[in-house]
Amino acid sequence: MMKIDFSGLDPYMPVKGNAEDLDDEILAAPSFKLPVTVDFDGFQKAAVQMVKPAKGTTTLAFIFKDGVMVAADSRASMGGYISSQSVKKIIEINPYMLGTMAGGAADCQFWHRNLGIKCRLHELANKRRISVAGASKLLANILYSYRGMGLSVGTMIAGWDENGPGLYYVDSEGGRLKGTRFSVGSGSPYAYGVLDSGYRFDLSVEEAAELARRAIYHATFRDGASGGVASVYHVGPSGWKKLSGDDVGELHYSYYPVEPTAVEQEMADVPIA
Amino acid sequence: MSRRYDSRTTIFSPEGRLYQVEYAMEAIGNAGSAIGILSKDGVILVGEKKVTSKLLQTSASTEKMYKIDDHVACAVAGIMSDANILINTARVQAQRYTFAYQEPMPVEQLVQSLCDTKQGYTQFGGLRPFGVSFLFAGWDKNYGFQLYMSDPSGNYSGWKAAAIGANNQAAQSMLKQDYKDEITREEAIQLAIKVLSKTMDSTSLTSEKLELAEVFLSNGNVKYQVCSPETLTQLLLKSGVTQPAADAS
Amino acid sequence: MESVFGLVGKDFAIVVADSSAVHSILVHKTNEDKIMVLDSHKLMGASGETGDRAQFTEYVQKNVALYQFRNGIPLTTAATANFTRGELATALRKNPYMVNIILAGYDKDVGPSLYFIDYIASLHKVDKAAFGYGSYFALSMMDRHYRRDMSVEEAIELVDKCIREIRSRLVVAPPNFLIKIVDKDGAREYGWRESIKDAPVAAA
Repeated sequence: MMKIDFSGLDPYMPVKGNAEDLDDEILAAPSFKLPVTVDFDGFQKAAVQMVKPAKGTTTLAFIFKDGVMVAADSRASMGGYISSQSVKKIIEINPYMLGTMAGGAADCQFWHRNLGIKCRLHELANKRRISVAGASKLLANILYSYRGMGLSVGTMIAGWDENGPGLYYVDSEGGRLKGTRFSVGSGSPYAYGVLDSGYRFDLSVEEAAELARRAIYHATFRDGASGGVASVYHVGPSGWKKLSGDDVGELHYSYYPVEPTAVEQEMADVPIA
Repeated sequence: MSRRYDSRTTIFSPEGRLYQVEYAMEAIGNAGSAIGILSKDGVILVGEKKVTSKLLQTSASTEKMYKIDDHVACAVAGIMSDANILINTARVQAQRYTFAYQEPMPVEQLVQSLCDTKQGYTQFGGLRPFGVSFLFAGWDKNYGFQLYMSDPSGNYSGWKAAAIGANNQAAQSMLKQDYKDEITREEAIQLAIKVLSKTMDSTSLTSEKLELAEVFLSNGNVKYQVCSPETLTQLLLKSGVTQPAADAS
Repeated sequence: MESVFGLVGKDFAIVVADSSAVHSILVHKTNEDKIMVLDSHKLMGASGETGDRAQFTEYVQKNVALYQFRNGIPLTTAATANFTRGELATALRKNPYMVNIILAGYDKDVGPSLYFIDYIASLHKVDKAAFGYGSYFALSMMDRHYRRDMSVEEAIELVDKCIREIRSRLVVAPPNFLIKIVDKDGAREYGWRESIKDAPVAAA
């Protein structure tokens, strides 16, 4: 580490009074440590990215005949380091609406709480719950107003309103998409693979929950940044309900039990010649 | 008692009146009058110039008629210094619109934007209303030829024929009597001259005391034309309000 | 990748856009409507960053509506194009909108018209225009087969030619396209050209 020398800023006149009485630390040239790097801005950017947790994630949501199924993993990572295995990536905005979290954890959490406040105020002012379309537009407009300022949010707003089930994808680039099937995060390509092949509109709640769980499991299997617990929520006409939260390790062994296999070659004593 | 309410524009009197605004209208009642008539092939504006002194150099250009954009012109009655300010803002507004949309500003929007400015001065503290009334003549592709009148309160309205300034009530009732829906531009000029000759204080009408401007279409383009003193004299002769003999001597 | 194009026919104008919402290698959606109906006789096809596209076209639409409420007359297509250009130009030196726009409209006095407006705020009145990766194919196709006096059927045939070419020659070709038309009867959806069906929007 280098040290910046501030001695040039010292006053010419010596400090009045008895210098010996002053502690060395106060008199010493003030300094702080700098990283040894040529591209300081680049270093700073990389450092900020490194400490922004929950970058690697798998979240998914889809609409089917009985409502919306929402699922996510629970791992938070900072670069290669797993900082938590028990993150709540499905945020409960109100009893009828859920948000999912991908990207910066703080950004997601903060703006979802903020959205929760706005939704409640809307409810008080208009004597009716906000629509999913309205809530997602509220969030998208906020994120858009901060565009280019470093927010990192990839979220799905899922809920039940007067028009039935609703699902929107919203991100910090200002994008807002209405749809029936979304997956967000680094594990999303894997999740999509499972989701697309197993999806039907007329799935039962149990089948849908299993599809969601399975998609999260397969994503955590292939994506190093996703893992922990696969949580599954269902949003129906009477609000959301958490259906399950399974450790993906245990899921692995329930999907693929270890089969006792015959040992190919028994170690045998070398016959004594 | 009323003194308490006429010193500021922003306060209503107990009778619900804004005295400063009414005083401004009073001021216009003493100013040189102007008449506008909408005809089927154009709009005409005629104004009375007050010649206060023989020594005064009458300006070479018009003093009551102003072109605001290629398709709109106005006639003024009231305090000229106030009018100059408003005309300037109107011209700027028209140019702003063209800058944004690359097409001429619709006439009513232009009038409205100017009246918004006037209105502001009847409401916000410490300001005096503009002592000006306008007649706007213009053409746009949506509503064709139009004539609007506006007063110091910021009110405006569209008219077939309108008068502002001194004796405007008398002029207005004469116009009401003689206006026909199918009037041509030429007939409109004659009508305006006739009305002015009766409502003006001076005994004889001459071209120095009058100004005439027309807005009409010539091969698809809007044209604003100010009548020269010579043509004006001809027109006055034709209408019979001045005698050729008196002019010659 | 994104493809938006349009053309003017005999007494109508057409705007075509792909309907994919893409994020890096992921296709999030294949039934996204990228052609905004600005008012009864105007269409605005847009390509560019998702957020900017949605926000900017909505902004223009709301301004066009506001003008009509305030003044009781609709904004002409030319005026809308110039307004849009102006907004992009003022934004350009502050926080630019990354959107390219094809504006089509029908006015009683001038008939159909088409405007090309790019994100650096240049404006051209054109007969045919295209943006995005699909533009390379659509442009040459239209250059070769376009005529000013095309009927709706001929124009749609040309549009289908363009779509077929994009689908067969572009590596990252979008699967679905949306066609909208504007003529004296107003702006409306003409049809979809789909090779993949997204799951139907829930009717529950």
